[in-house]
Amino acid sequence: MLLETIKKDFIQYKAQAEPGEFLTLREAAFAEFEKLGFPTTKHEEWKYTNLKSITDNTFQSTCEIKSLVNELFNASIESKLTANFLVFVNGSLVNELSKIIEKDNSIVISSLATSRKNNQAIFNQHFGKYAKVEGQAMNALNTALLSDGAFVFVPKGKTVVHPVVIFNISDASDLNVLAQPRNLIVVEEQSTLTIVETYYATGTNASFTNVVTETYAGKSAHVEHYKIQQQAGACYQNNFTQFFQEADTNINHVTLTLDGTLVRNNLHFYMNGENCNSLLYGLYVTDNKDLVDNHTRVDHAKPNCFSDEKYKGILKGHSTAVFNGKIMVHLDAQKTNAYQRNQNILLSDDATVNTKPQLEIFADDVKCTHGATVGELDEESMFYLRSRGIPEDVARKLLLTAYAVDIAEKIKIPELVELLEQKIDGKL
Amino acid sequence: MAEEVDIIDQVVGQEYKYGFTTNIEMETAPKGLTEDTIRFISSKKTEPEWMLEYRLKAFKYWQGLTAPSWQNFSYPAVDYQDIIYYAAPKEKITLDSLDQVDPELLKTFEKLGISLSEQKRLTGVAVDAVFDSVSIATTFKDQLKEKGIIFCSMSEAVHEHPDLVKKYLSSVVPYTDNFFAALNAAVFSDGSFVYIPKGVRCPMELSTYFRINAENTGQFERTLIIADEGSYVSYLEGCTAPMRDENQLHAAVVELVALEKAEIKYSTVQNWYPGDKNGKGGIYNFVTKRGICLGDYAKISWTQVETGSAITWKYPSCILKGDYSVGEFFSVAVTNNMQQADTGTKMIHIGKNTKSRIVSKGISAGKSHNTYRGLVKVNKKADKARNHTQCDSMLIGDRSGAHTFPYIEINNKSAMVEHEASTSKIGEDQIFYCNQRGIGTEEAIGLIVNGFCREVLNQLPMEFAVEAQKLLAVSLEGSVG
Repeated sequence: MLLETIKKDFIQYKAQAEPGEFLTLREAAFAEFEKLGFPTTKHEEWKYTNLKSITDNTFQSTCEIKSLVNELFNASIESKLTANFLVFVNGSLVNELSKIIEKDNSIVISSLATSRKNNQAIFNQHFGKYAKVEGQAMNALNTALLSDGAFVFVPKGKTVVHPVVIFNISDASDLNVLAQPRNLIVVEEQSTLTIVETYYATGTNASFTNVVTETYAGKSAHVEHYKIQQQAGACYQNNFTQFFQEADTNINHVTLTLDGTLVRNNLHFYMNGENCNSLLYGLYVTDNKDLVDNHTRVDHAKPNCFSDEKYKGILKGHSTAVFNGKIMVHLDAQKTNAYQRNQNILLSDDATVNTKPQLEIFADDVKCTHGATVGELDEESMFYLRSRGIPEDVARKLLLTAYAVDIAEKIKIPELVELLEQKIDGKL
Repeated sequence: MAEEVDIIDQVVGQEYKYGFTTNIEMETAPKGLTEDTIRFISSKKTEPEWMLEYRLKAFKYWQGLTAPSWQNFSYPAVDYQDIIYYAAPKEKITLDSLDQVDPELLKTFEKLGISLSEQKRLTGVAVDAVFDSVSIATTFKDQLKEKGIIFCSMSEAVHEHPDLVKKYLSSVVPYTDNFFAALNAAVFSDGSFVYIPKGVRCPMELSTYFRINAENTGQFERTLIIADEGSYVSYLEGCTAPMRDENQLHAAVVELVALEKAEIKYSTVQNWYPGDKNGKGGIYNFVTKRGICLGDYAKISWTQVETGSAITWKYPSCILKGDYSVGEFFSVAVTNNMQQADTGTKMIHIGKNTKSRIVSKGISAGKSHNTYRGLVKVNKKADKARNHTQCDSMLIGDRSGAHTFPYIEINNKSAMVEHEASTSKIGEDQIFYCNQRGIGTEEAIGLIVNGFCREVLNQLPMEFAVEAQKLLAVSLEGSVG
């Protein structure tokens, strides 16, 4: 049982932790987790996603590293990029594989553990302020037992030239592993940053990754954030990403889920100032008995903000996809424009889609639309291609690729898009 | 802005014109709900043993339940022991003609614009009037009888058509369905029963008019409509209640059964007392409505115009079991002041080639909250199921809220399911366009709102469409957004 391991882990951690603010915070988080327990399907937000396969299993936290990890890293498409790399295996930083090429010393790209010592003021100012633990069991669990993670700080008016790749590997060669990475990204006024967050797995045992990423975007900041999930094998992941936006910020987020037994993504945006732009795009390609669950929430807390959301899915095998998009327009957030779409293509008789696009609106001068579709490939497009002599399977692939690439192309690193397109092609 | 406030005040000031009470001697059950209450109701109606047993079973089940809490509104907990479960006018009810009806009662219905005297022949609407717990009169019974159509009160049906009642009662909404359905099954007082025989097209609209009058009572009626093979019926429902400071509970159950190639059209214009502008009083309208297309090619169509009630909480649903069956749901829900609505539909696709269509229009004004909650479920074997959902919300006033919670669950790859929703306020450009052409802002709003709801209003039978249009105009008069 996972719960017992976790309790033991926390007692162990407490025994060796130095007392202080950080420990108090984590103790409070653990108390919250104990109060809430693991979410069950009785919980409205978890109606379609059963965590039983995780909670009934045992997982260990470990930081042993196998050489296999180097090969996996070198073979990955992300490693081909000219970028800053922070590589984590089971939630611990691997120094040999990580490299920082950014020249500007005022920009901090390091592990969370290091930054807590070296950049204490910034850490204390932002850590745990955006991803709330109240009522969020999995966030509370991460806060209590986080291992390590990335820390990126971009001071006022700077541009990070190369993307920062946060490369996560779950190494389950010897036993079932549990990793709880925690990332903190602080982008100050008028700065620009690109983050690529990527997940891989190796080994024949099961792995469970429970990750929380907090991003603070200062006034007029611009953040590109891409999440690529390709954990093959018995891999479970719960991913919580919170963006906190000050006025005039731009955030472009893309989630690509190409593999994973159970992937739950929680993506939250909170607009704390006027004239914010939030773009959320997602693509999930599922097969076998996989379950991919995307829960997004956009909080329009201030007037004159814009959000655009588009999630697309392709389902094969016995897989299940869940989409729950919530747009929350707060009181007096007038002149809000919010768009949301969820499209699904079912390629198998045994696949299931549960989608719930939600609007909650408390202001009257708004324009909000949402839409959801589920169906097969468009017959007319198919006929068009067939009538021009294209064989059925080629036509099908052409249409699916076009459908999927639409999302991949929202990533603004051309080299990466190209490599990803090949990957997606292979999946189809 | 000042003008806006003025106009919103005006809307708030609108009076509920059906708020009078009728002074009539009533016979009531003692307050509270125990097994004795149920025995009392059952014996009052001289019901057969099987009916009492059914009620008691439901009551036992209900006792084990707690009220649901997933809804998107809040209301103070209802004390189920503080309700009178049975209230009836003292006069004996078995009547042969309308002359024997208490004139006081007739006056009430006349005030409501529902004339029970059969002068309404021209309009071709047969009416069953339910006053508090009992059915008062059913018109045009004989003409309907000639065609083999049964249109009577539920109590009568229990006695005269026990086979049909036994077979279909509770078959669509079992008492185990939910908290309010269980409560209703235990204490239901009366309601309408309709049976349309094979191949008969009901020559007139059937209609039930519900009126709550007595204080502290709850109304629990039960409607059952059965359309046999190849038949057609259009059924209307209307309701009003007096103005009172305390909340009153209305927990009805409606069951529709459409056999092969049958069609049922069910229209509701709901105008229960909505409470005053501070949210005091008003009816809690917690209703379970569900229809099943049992046979192939059957069709069920729900149309509702919801303008009243302090809280409206209902989801008229369709179970599309037969192949090629069709389910439709058209709804306009208007909330004003402190009203709250959490309404929508469920379309359960079980048969092959089934189709459903949902059109929902929500309008929230004042401090009200309007929620659309709907489910479209396509089962694994429901090949080629088709659904189109459209739900639009309109906001009037910056303290109102509009919410959409559509659930879409698809288990079949050949399904085609589309959902679209939008929320907006009345565009300044639209009003400007009208103003420019000499149409006052008031009128322009009416025009725009009516246009917004047109798709749904068009579904209503003629007489109701006119009434509904007026009702909309009254509830929203002067609401410049």
